[in-house]
Amino acid sequence: MTTERACRFGRAQHLIGIIGLPPAPAEEGRVGIVVLNAGMVHRVGPFRLHVELTRRLNACGYPSLRFDLSSIGDSGASNEPRSHEEQVRSDVADAINLLRQHAGCTRVILLGLCSGAQNAHVAACTESRVAGAIFLDGYAFRTFGFRIRHYLPRLLNAARWRRFLDRRMSPPEDDDSNIRFGVHYPPLSQVRRELAGMLERGLKLYFIYSGGISGHYNHPRQFRECYGRLAAHPGASTRLLKQADHTYVLETDRQLLFDTIETWLAGNFPTPARSSPP
Amino acid sequence: MNARPSPTQPCQFGTGGDLFGIYHAATGHPKRAVLLCPPLGQEMVRSHRIYRQLGDALALQGCAVLRFDYYGSGDSAGASNQLDWTRCVSDAVTAAAELRRRSGCDRLLGFGARLGGAIALESADDAGFAELLLWDPILDGSAHVARLDAMQDALWRDGDRFSQPRTAADAANQWLGFPIGPALKRQLGHWRAGPAKVPVALLDSQPPAPPGQPAGALDATIRRLQTAIAWDDLERLEHAVLSPELIRAVVDHVRGSA
Repeated sequence: MTTERACRFGRAQHLIGIIGLPPAPAEEGRVGIVVLNAGMVHRVGPFRLHVELTRRLNACGYPSLRFDLSSIGDSGASNEPRSHEEQVRSDVADAINLLRQHAGCTRVILLGLCSGAQNAHVAACTESRVAGAIFLDGYAFRTFGFRIRHYLPRLLNAARWRRFLDRRMSPPEDDDSNIRFGVHYPPLSQVRRELAGMLERGLKLYFIYSGGISGHYNHPRQFRECYGRLAAHPGASTRLLKQADHTYVLETDRQLLFDTIETWLAGNFPTPARSSPP
Repeated sequence: MNARPSPTQPCQFGTGGDLFGIYHAATGHPKRAVLLCPPLGQEMVRSHRIYRQLGDALALQGCAVLRFDYYGSGDSAGASNQLDWTRCVSDAVTAAAELRRRSGCDRLLGFGARLGGAIALESADDAGFAELLLWDPILDGSAHVARLDAMQDALWRDGDRFSQPRTAADAANQWLGFPIGPALKRQLGHWRAGPAKVPVALLDSQPPAPPGQPAGALDATIRRLQTAIAWDDLERLEHAVLSPELIRAVVDHVRGSA
């Protein structure tokens, strides 16, 4: 018998999601996991990543909800005159209400990949019931250190010089340094300020980067180069999974990601089974 | 007729509620019902949007529609490596019964893209489909297995995807992001389309197959689509498959055969 339940929910009954429950009944106040869409991929996630992850976390004792934001996947539009950010915040609020109703969760951890990380950031800025967030390939700004690590080896490579000169001879392509994987970035100063606000409110934040964005993030040290003192805050953690691609297409990389997330959760949000002595 | 379809209904059915589905209720009393059998693996993820659009479009035409995920795929129960050909075929039969129960329609049309088309074909007798509509269906399992193996081999060597070299062992027993059990590969490798007992219409966006391909065994009416879908292009592995032309063709077909 499955422990998952398909739901239609939300302020306009327009959202579709799957609640996952732990094998043992969760007590009131348990922290839950809310998984947001990665780009336009529906709630199962790239290569079913969200399904495998939420089921594994359910087995560890965390209730979960993977759902489609307004107008993505199977969800409809709410038909409200709202900005994208307001829409995301309202959708996440609806998701938390549902998780509370079904699993008694009063606090949640948001998880998202790429644009999902950006949406998790937007919601975590203002939603008081968010206790933490896991950002997969979230905001990563190129730093001086990044450029040294990225370009120096290339300066010494003759084949790369040839390709560079070929490109110079070709018509220029549009370049917008604030766009990554089709996601528009706010200024670094704004992101820093918002992350500082989250940490001051006591949120635990985990930034996991993949080798798939090596054109934007290429060393664990870059996190400190980007975010300065925030990087040393006890509520912030980071990890670079250099061998993985952006969407974790290989099974071995997905398993490493799941292990990484599970370990962080166990350290920061232990479930009763994990926190009690054996 | 209303401009908007009725809200869809997420549902769980089959033994223990193991199968996940989305039911599109018809606008008004359903004239007929259509079961949308999804492809497998990454083609299922890529096709999700167009299956939803198709469900909405058919519901507006007065059809009841059920979309669903096989055991071991999508939101249905089961791990990805438990996906099994025989189980997929029996899940299609279970989904057909669920669609009859919900819609009250006895006459069903089965639709499927790629391996979803193969599953619709294979389950046609037991599901009791009155007619089949297949979009770029896989008709030769062994050729498809060879294509998937070749694409998987190219995937782990892709320097644009991976910043560090990967090995064949990292990519073993998987097809394009999904683990596969040995049974599925063997089952697919032995499967080849045979004649169907019900009328089959084939919506074909691919280049013409060479003579002797199993499409001939189907005795299907064929409609060529102008928009070729790049199903086997690794560079488009994570791109959604969209085709307004396909939706129009399916709606026209259903309207014409009502």
